[in-house]
Amino acid sequence: MKFMILVKASEESEAGIMPTEQLLTEMGRYNEQLVNAGVLEAGEGLHPTSNGSRVRFDGENRTVTDGPFAETKELLAGFWIFKVNSKEEAIEWVKRAPFDGGTEIEIRKVFEAADFGEALTPELREQEAPLRAKSAGSI
Amino acid sequence: MKFMIMVKATDDSEAGVMPGIELMTAMGNFNQQLVDAGIMLAGEGLHPSSRGARVFFEGDSRTVTDGPFAETKELVAGYWLWNCASMEEAVEWVKRCPNPMPGPSEIEIRRVFTAEDFGEAFTPELREQEEQMAQAIESRNQS
Repeated sequence: MKFMILVKASEESEAGIMPTEQLLTEMGRYNEQLVNAGVLEAGEGLHPTSNGSRVRFDGENRTVTDGPFAETKELLAGFWIFKVNSKEEAIEWVKRAPFDGGTEIEIRKVFEAADFGEALTPELREQEAPLRAKSAGSI
Repeated sequence: MKFMIMVKATDDSEAGVMPGIELMTAMGNFNQQLVDAGIMLAGEGLHPSSRGARVFFEGDSRTVTDGPFAETKELVAGYWLWNCASMEEAVEWVKRCPNPMPGPSEIEIRRVFTAEDFGEAFTPELREQEEQMAQAIESRNQS
C-alpha cells in the first residue's frame, strides 16, 4: 500500500526559516532508516506559499491568485510517499519522525490502479503504465 | 525548477465520487502531453480523508486522530510533481488541465526545495547522504 505523508506548514516554514543543521541531520538519519526499511518512495520540501499560486477552475474560467495564503495550519510544507503494509505501519513510522512540538502530519492512502474500477478502462490502464515508467526514469 | 501541483479536495472527492470515463480519458491525454513535454515527474490520487489519519507532535507525545477531516477545500485530493522552466510555465500548464472535479475546483502550485536552496546547514556529508538515498530508491524502482 502507498501512503502520502503530508507535513503541515507552520509560521516558521511560511516565514522561510530554514531547518538548522541539527534538524537536517536528524531528518537525514530518519530518511535513511526509511530507505533501509524499503519504506521511502519519495519526499520533498516546499517553498513557502509566498512563492506559490492557486488556479481556480469554474466551467471554462481559470482564475490565478498568487500567495502567500492565510490558513497556515492547513497549508503543506512538505511530504513523503511511504510504501507499507498497513495504515497502522504508516502511523508508527510517522510517530518516529524528528519533528518539534506543534507539528501536524496528515496520512492519506494513495490510489492504485486496482482502486479505480471500470472507469479506468483497459486502454487507459495500458496508457498509464508506460507513462509512470517514463516519468520515473526522468526524476 | 521543480513544482508540486496540488489538486484540492471537494465535497465530491471527499464523498468518494470517482471520475467518470470522460474525465479519466481527458486526464490520461493531459498526462501524456506532460510526459511528452518532459514535464511529468510523478502524480498520484489520494483516497478521501475518511481513510486517513493525522498525527500531532508535542514534545514526546504523539496524538493520532482518524479522518474524515472537516476543512474540505484545504485538503489535498491528488498531486503531480513537474519539471518546468518557471512558475509562469507551471501556471500555463495548470490552466490547460481538464477540470479535475465535476464542479468548481482549485489547484495549488508550490515550488519544491532543491539542494541549492538549503545553504550551509545542508552540509557536504548530508548532501552525500541524500544523493545515496536517491540512488538506492531509483535502483529499487527500476528493478
